[in-house]
Amino acid sequence: MKKKFFALMMACVMAFTMTACGGGADTTGDTTSGDTQSGGQTASDSIVIGTIGPLTGPYANYGLSVKQGAEVAVAEINAAGGINGKQVVLLSEDSQGDPDSAVSAYGKLMDDGIHALLGCTLSGETANVVAAAAEDDVMILTPSGSADKCLEGNDKAFRVCFYDSYQGTAAAQYIVDNALATEVAILYQSDVDYSVGLYNSFKAKCEESNIKIVETQTFTASTATDFSTQVDALVASGAKVVFTPIYAEEASTFLTQAKGKFASDVYFFGADGLDGILGKVEQDPSIANNVLMLTPFAADSDDAGVKSFVESYQTAYGATPDQFAAGSYDGVYVLKAAIEKAGSTSGAAMAQAMTEITVEGITGSMTWTADGNTSKAASAILYFDGVGKLFG
Amino acid sequence: MVHFIQTLLSGLSLGSIYALIALGYTMVYGIAKMLNFAHGDVIMIGAYAGIVIVAQLGMPPVAAIVLSVVICALLGMLIEYLAYKPLRQAPPLSVLITAIGVSYFLQNIALLIFGSQQKAYPTLFEVPDFTVGGVVVDGGTVLTLCTSAIIMVVLTFFINKTKLGKAMRAVSEDKAASALMGISVNRAITLTFAIGSALAAFASIFYGITYVYIKPTTGAMPGIKAFTAAVFGGIGSIPGAMLGGILLGMIEQFSKTYISTLWADAIVFGVLVLVLVVKPTGLLGRKISEKV
Repeated sequence: MKKKFFALMMACVMAFTMTACGGGADTTGDTTSGDTQSGGQTASDSIVIGTIGPLTGPYANYGLSVKQGAEVAVAEINAAGGINGKQVVLLSEDSQGDPDSAVSAYGKLMDDGIHALLGCTLSGETANVVAAAAEDDVMILTPSGSADKCLEGNDKAFRVCFYDSYQGTAAAQYIVDNALATEVAILYQSDVDYSVGLYNSFKAKCEESNIKIVETQTFTASTATDFSTQVDALVASGAKVVFTPIYAEEASTFLTQAKGKFASDVYFFGADGLDGILGKVEQDPSIANNVLMLTPFAADSDDAGVKSFVESYQTAYGATPDQFAAGSYDGVYVLKAAIEKAGSTSGAAMAQAMTEITVEGITGSMTWTADGNTSKAASAILYFDGVGKLFG
Repeated sequence: MVHFIQTLLSGLSLGSIYALIALGYTMVYGIAKMLNFAHGDVIMIGAYAGIVIVAQLGMPPVAAIVLSVVICALLGMLIEYLAYKPLRQAPPLSVLITAIGVSYFLQNIALLIFGSQQKAYPTLFEVPDFTVGGVVVDGGTVLTLCTSAIIMVVLTFFINKTKLGKAMRAVSEDKAASALMGISVNRAITLTFAIGSALAAFASIFYGITYVYIKPTTGAMPGIKAFTAAVFGGIGSIPGAMLGGILLGMIEQFSKTYISTLWADAIVFGVLVLVLVVKPTGLLGRKISEKV
């Protein structure tokens, strides 16, 4: 009897610790306020824009890029006289990438009197805040929340970036257009909406375009430490392109374990999630060799707007901006255009204006549909020995 | 065939890491009759110690190995002294909850000190890969395998042949009787924690070499898997922990390769449930007739 009880207790204990550990990974901490402009108080002669994103934690690279990109744009706009003569104040809140903390951060920003929200950074955060803000007269423009559904339920929500199903389709199209391969392998994270969304649309487009998917491998957050079996299977498939619609953190682990195992002409093709990969493999940048990333923004482009942005960003932060910084930079200008067109900071009026304006940004030429989406041309960046260059 | 051998090797390597951790669980359970859930997090601390010693203090790799073993052993003893010793007469549930508390405490301390961004474990030594009959064998895997085998042999010798080992076994059999025979029960328990945590330090080194990136939650999953391995093999039994660890690693890698990466964890824990249903004391667990 006692032994059975013991076995039962073991099972219970294990079930408990499994859930406990799962919960432990996403710690919801305090939201540290990072006022980027002096004051932080709402003044009637200024326009206050809020940003929300992970400024600490495993996804901090995305949130910091968004914050810094916005800061560059705000500084430029203020130097040029502001929006309708009013100076712009930027307030940034840390969400640690946690959707619930993002809603608290949104509440705090509303108390601080923001006129528009440039955020959130991640799709999960954006979805929660978009829903929470449905009744508020505030426009939400996410520079990087790319999940198809994260703008649903709020007609004042828009985005600067690609949306996921478009990214997956565009990635497959890119492979066709550049004749990269006729056979591809896929590695995606099956418990992340972003990754699954890209996988589904990529797969659909591949079937349509006669690209053969020869191997599909998956992982989850809890198995993201050991990629040995996935690497073996992907190598064995012989595909010349491995589609990796995953985040940079997991990609760095995968690529570290894959180093030297793949042929030197195999590309790891991913989307915006891979941005910031070089920062994750600082100990050996060659780990990220042959990573090809779909992006609307290339820092080494000849475009005059891009050049001046990259220069200001490098002066301010000593780093080359990624597409999150670029999207956020564009986002501030989009908000400016919408406020000027609407003549007010009312969310409803700005949302109306959004469907009427065209913004020529550093991430491309953008117009919006009423559902908040924009489409623009995609190019790709190839990383080699720690340097990213426009591919093709 | 190449696929099979590669899977076999990676299963053995993962399994030996599990086995090293499982030994810590099983030794502590055998002697103190408690589940030390903070054990997985000792591995994480050991890994961070390795990073600080080599990457930040610039000491040689040998120092990293020696010091992280010493640090983990001291940490294990400290945890035992501060958290578990005062609870020696308390009901098992209190000790269990305390252990979970210690686990979260260690994770959050690491979060405060090192931040939640992953850090890369330094390359302690370059182990070249080599090819045997068309199969590329990862040098790190072979190193992990050989070293864990040596550690296990030494440990078995220590437990069975030395005086201290005998004292530990005596305490695990019957605390009161061994105290009457002049064995210091407290010292034996402290020693067990020290050895278990030192093994965790070795596990942290192999984990670092194999998987490179370390986070504050790094110890959680291997900890749970190793606990599973210990129960699988028969908790309290040292050969059982080794067998359980190796088998678990193999089952995990083979189900990943031949069934599905999605199902691997479900299969691993499913096997555990099956074993416990058929043999509640685990594969090599002893049948103890309890006196009521």
